[in-house]
Amino acid sequence: MSDCDALVIGGGVSGLTAAAYLARAGLRVIVAEARNKLGGACESMSFGEGFHAPLTQTLYALDPRVVKDLKLNLKFAVRDMALTGLRADGKHIVLSRDGAARSIAVHSQADAKAWKRFRRELFSLARDMRALWWDEGTFSVSRERLEPFRRLSAAAWLDGWFESDALKATLAFDATENGLSPFEPGSALALLWRASQEMCGLQGAVAALAGGPPSLVQALLEAAKVDIRTGANVSRILLANGAVAGVELASGETIAASIVISSASRRRTLNELLPTGAIGFARADSMDRANPKTGTAKVALALSALPMFAGVPSTARFILAERLESYAAAYSAARAGRLPDELIMEAVTPTAADSSLAPIGQHLLIASVRPVPLAMNDEMKAQLTAKVIAAFARHVPGMHVVASEVLTPAEISSRYGAQDLKMNVAQMLANWDERLRTPISSLMLCGESAISGRAGRIAAAMAIRDKT
Amino acid sequence: MLRYDVGVIGAGADGLAAAATLAGAGLKTIVIERSTVAGGRAQTREFHPGFRASPFADEVAAVPREIHWALDLTRRGAIFAPMPSLAMWPDRHHILQPSRETEARCAGVLARVNAVAASPPPRFGFLRTASYTPWPAEDWAQASLTDVLGEGDEAAHRIAATLAGRTADPYLAGSALHLLAESNSGVVLGGLARLASALTNAAREAGAEFSLGLEASDIQSHMHRVTGIGLADGTEISARAIISTVDLKRTFLSLFPWSALPPPVVKRAGLWRMGGGTARVLLALEKAPDAPRSAIHVAPDAKVFAEAHAAWRAGTIPTAPPATLRLISAADPSLAPIGSATLTVTLGAIPFRLFDGAWTHEKRDVLRALALAAAESVFPGVSASVLAAEVIAPPDIEEALGATEGDLMGGEIASDQMLGLRPGPRTEMAGLYLGGPSSAAGPLGACAAGVAAARAVLADFRRLK
Repeated sequence: MSDCDALVIGGGVSGLTAAAYLARAGLRVIVAEARNKLGGACESMSFGEGFHAPLTQTLYALDPRVVKDLKLNLKFAVRDMALTGLRADGKHIVLSRDGAARSIAVHSQADAKAWKRFRRELFSLARDMRALWWDEGTFSVSRERLEPFRRLSAAAWLDGWFESDALKATLAFDATENGLSPFEPGSALALLWRASQEMCGLQGAVAALAGGPPSLVQALLEAAKVDIRTGANVSRILLANGAVAGVELASGETIAASIVISSASRRRTLNELLPTGAIGFARADSMDRANPKTGTAKVALALSALPMFAGVPSTARFILAERLESYAAAYSAARAGRLPDELIMEAVTPTAADSSLAPIGQHLLIASVRPVPLAMNDEMKAQLTAKVIAAFARHVPGMHVVASEVLTPAEISSRYGAQDLKMNVAQMLANWDERLRTPISSLMLCGESAISGRAGRIAAAMAIRDKT
Repeated sequence: MLRYDVGVIGAGADGLAAAATLAGAGLKTIVIERSTVAGGRAQTREFHPGFRASPFADEVAAVPREIHWALDLTRRGAIFAPMPSLAMWPDRHHILQPSRETEARCAGVLARVNAVAASPPPRFGFLRTASYTPWPAEDWAQASLTDVLGEGDEAAHRIAATLAGRTADPYLAGSALHLLAESNSGVVLGGLARLASALTNAAREAGAEFSLGLEASDIQSHMHRVTGIGLADGTEISARAIISTVDLKRTFLSLFPWSALPPPVVKRAGLWRMGGGTARVLLALEKAPDAPRSAIHVAPDAKVFAEAHAAWRAGTIPTAPPATLRLISAADPSLAPIGSATLTVTLGAIPFRLFDGAWTHEKRDVLRALALAAAESVFPGVSASVLAAEVIAPPDIEEALGATEGDLMGGEIASDQMLGLRPGPRTEMAGLYLGGPSSAAGPLGACAAGVAAARAVLADFRRLK
């Protein structure tokens, strides 16, 4: 029996951030990571000969306070990846910070004119929402501005602004996290959420770290001088008198702790790790029903040359989605267990700016394809790879694929315990208390909006405040 | 110039009920209808010698009981015969047992929403700017049909019954709002025209006047206050108040010069999404198949609805559109000769605008084939007995009823277009009231929106005095 003040379940970015803050407050902290490696979904998978594909290629929501407080030493390979849409007709759309209007004008003059106003409104609304999303505090967005977004879908909102399919379909991709369809209320809010984030001091920017996401884990490890146990799979959370008392590992070992912060998902933490019925059966049941029915698959392609798309910078992120309606078709197909006819995906070529991820002269293309069915058999995986290759080969004559690797949503969540609650408006507008606290005192969650580190910081702050 | 207190545009169930209410309260009221007969979608005609059907719908949403009594509709001949619901899979069928819990929940929510819709808070959220007071059933705006009804056969059947002739992705948040727009009340004996004639009689007896056969071509206004209605032949009718029972796009975008409206209204009306997706195929059958008196939903499955809806969005005719069969002559023998039968097939998720061009004969034939396939799957061998088949595609509904994009619900049923975000009965134009399907009570029940608008007119007139 080993003792500590606080135990953190999961050694991903959120867990390590929480641990670092707890340690800063003078607590003795243990991080229990089930796998033998730290970093969770920031890990790189190796495939082919000498290729390392990071599972999360981009960072768009790293909490600036975490970087400052923990003095993280981060080097960015790209600070502001432009959002671009690869079009079947070759008229690619590049939404860079300064030159977007010119690129939009190819598709629609009216949209090019509306773009500036749209960005201004998006960014200003998003800044207003920071009070809710960035820190604990009173929330003061005027009801008049926020109210429509409770009910608005991204598709309806974008339809109100723009006419060109290219622009709308490209923008809508960021509204589709965690099984949300751009035709659902709340998806417009998801766009605001993305726009409210900040990377490298730029609002709504998407950045890539030199060395890939593992370098963020490395930086966090240096900042968090805590006791880290890998291969420590937490199987139960122990309770005493309704409060948390510690955890039991799969090995049978128990660790006593008066604070437990879990970076596993809310459902896994509350429904699987806690004793049955600890949070009430009704709540457990409602969480079981709210799971997303589609997911994101990752396809990594090892290429012998850097793929170039006409007029598009290589350090951009490429969205493939022809029309808004393509999303509707893709969701219904994925839900019925089939691969959509037209795959919707975001792709990046991380080796364009950071050559350390592949052997010299060779390159990586990593696509996040969503929505796809949660589980796929080998045949479907092969089909998925073929379709992804075809989608890019159309623009890159003579593209040569050296090796490829696919991870299905089911594989990703079995390895890394991914998000398993479908996003909705209520969750997006919940305050941090609702998001991180559980019905059990001193048991906090920090797995939501995992990549930000923000949840880890705030969960740690809450737990410390509760104890003193 | 003809002078009236109130002009009602459209003589559908809403317009007729509004006119009866207003005239009954002593106001000089005129109903303007472009067709030569009153009734709107509540009409019945002979589509093949001896075979009759109501072309646009078999069932109507329930007339709220209180309106039914106030207008004395039963005595005037509107008698409803319930149509039970049956779901058919290739290997079996399933009869919808009213699940008390869901039924009571839906009825309770509907009653509360109806109450709010009848006297809405003074400012509504239509323009997306005004402060919005939450309505009952607000949680359904964030819930999907599968969230509320669950999954499995029973749920699939209920979803099919809810969406019959409409389209939605039952997995998407907001689709639960379709539950509010359901509440079918059964067929009217003698066809829906009997409901129209009962309402017309109620309006006439109360003293309302009718102008049939001439379309209202514009609404005149001055300084954001309406003053009168212009008819297609140039006649002008002055009215202190106007109730429009046509949908909101048509009301604002084609009856007004845009410069007469506040710009936000034009913008919002332009962005208003229609969700029409109904096609109907009327079949005259020589030999009556042995079938129960039910609405039969063919192969219901939430996934089928989701895929059909995606096809609808993309502007393609779904390969397997949800179909509802009604052997209406079994419920009402007056609709077909003895020994024969009238079968209607209602197809959902049929797009108004096809991605590859206009609604040609070939595409109508596709609908006919889909309908026959659905009928064949329930009544094997029925195709051989078909004497005549009439196809009614979404553009036909638009043309016949003036419902934009053939949408009888007055706008897509979505979270940002339901409950308090539907306009009406009062609008940004003083003296203009919306009493049609686009207004808050529109999708909830027949006549409800018209009567709500009429009551708003009466209340405002009283206040002015």
